[in-house]
Amino acid sequence: MADRVPGNENNRWRAELLKPLFALLIAMLASTATHAQGTGQATADQQRMRSTVVDAYLEMRTAPGRGYPVFYVAERGERLVLLKQKTDWVKVRNQRGIEGWVHVDEIARTVDELGDVLAFRSPDLDSFSNRRWEAGIMLGGFGDTDAVSGYGGFHFTRNLSLELELTENFGDFSDGRMATLNIVHQMFPHWRYSPFLTIGGGVRETNPRSTLVSTSDRTDNTASVGAGLRVYLSRRLLLRLQYRNYVVMTNRDDDEEVDEWKIGISAFF
Amino acid sequence: MENWNKCIFLTAALCGAGSGQAFGEPPEQPRQVVHPDIERREIPRIAIDTENFELGPYAGIISIQDFNSEVVYGLRGAWHVTEDFFFEANYGVSEADLTSYEKLSGGVPLFSDDERDYSYYNLSLGWNILPGEIFVFDKYAFKSDFYFIGGAGNTRFLGDNWFTVTLGAGYRLLLNDSVTWRLDIRDHIYDREAFGARETTNNIEWSTGLTFFF
Repeated sequence: MADRVPGNENNRWRAELLKPLFALLIAMLASTATHAQGTGQATADQQRMRSTVVDAYLEMRTAPGRGYPVFYVAERGERLVLLKQKTDWVKVRNQRGIEGWVHVDEIARTVDELGDVLAFRSPDLDSFSNRRWEAGIMLGGFGDTDAVSGYGGFHFTRNLSLELELTENFGDFSDGRMATLNIVHQMFPHWRYSPFLTIGGGVRETNPRSTLVSTSDRTDNTASVGAGLRVYLSRRLLLRLQYRNYVVMTNRDDDEEVDEWKIGISAFF
Repeated sequence: MENWNKCIFLTAALCGAGSGQAFGEPPEQPRQVVHPDIERREIPRIAIDTENFELGPYAGIISIQDFNSEVVYGLRGAWHVTEDFFFEANYGVSEADLTSYEKLSGGVPLFSDDERDYSYYNLSLGWNILPGEIFVFDKYAFKSDFYFIGGAGNTRFLGDNWFTVTLGAGYRLLLNDSVTWRLDIRDHIYDREAFGARETTNNIEWSTGLTFFF
């Protein structure tokens, strides 16, 4: 019986934790339900963003891409409903019900009901230096082994960001997985070739190859310092080169030091 | 000397000019005719539905080197960064049968059943090199993309993880703005040393599936 008491307390604690979660879930379901009730073409269009053409004309294409044919040209004063966006293209419908795709740069030259220019823009070097989120994939070497990783980062300021990186590496004797959290500082965010410094820590799991006998999996903490370079390519894409020096804190007498070189491609938004 | 004279003369002139106002009624503040009553409008982030993510299941056949061709199932997710480039992640599972040697010799199997489980993931970059449009009768037009894709990842097979490079090409047909039909051919290339010596293996996968943009 005595054993059960902590268990019950644990359950109660869990129930306390779950209650607000359930409440949140129900609230979310309720809000989506009410939202679903309100849909219908007319109501949906009212909630959508509208704009008016102020340029001499505006080109509508059949599909979201620069190579697709222009099939309709909207005149100055025509009112458009903005339906959805795919990459740099916005699908619009005019008052006659004609739907087509317009580039964001052209949408950026239309105005809303109050005569203000719509806040659309296609990404450029300026948006690169003011980016908030960044994610990408990288390839390279971790010590003598091949490594592949994916990462995502959030920029608190133009200079500082926090990144979560997941790496898997494959060697002749072992392979491993590593999750690290890194603080990245870029000194010159407005440069096209933007260098950065990084410091971080994480966890690493090493699995020796199945062909090796009498070895077991192990989990160690890691710490790292590094430096790298981001290069703005075009639109939302950037190239990333980085070097890190890892210290893997093993249970053995000596810690392991590993050099890691990586090249990757990332996108920001 | 001349400067001094000028100075005195100018000061006297200024006093004379200013005296009229200085001894009259206090100067009136210019009356504000228009009161600035403009509410500063924050330009909101455009409330528009963006559909840059693609997610969907696929099924196909993978030819596992030294083993059979087997059915493969998977899930793929893509993020379209520009109209030309997209990032894609794939995860697939399959299961290998006996090797030709095991079948012919009729001896003890070389690998356990667990070791025959085949799974992989990869992170790739895709390039829509040939965007196009497909015309059905004279009424319908569907957008399509032919793309090259390449990436790297992991293959878990025969009890170990193998660093895998994936290269391939594919075709995406947009049935409407949100639903697409995809056809993919990928080569999963990795060095394997399960049979003692290290050897490069090519594992060609053919797959088809539906994806949904959201």
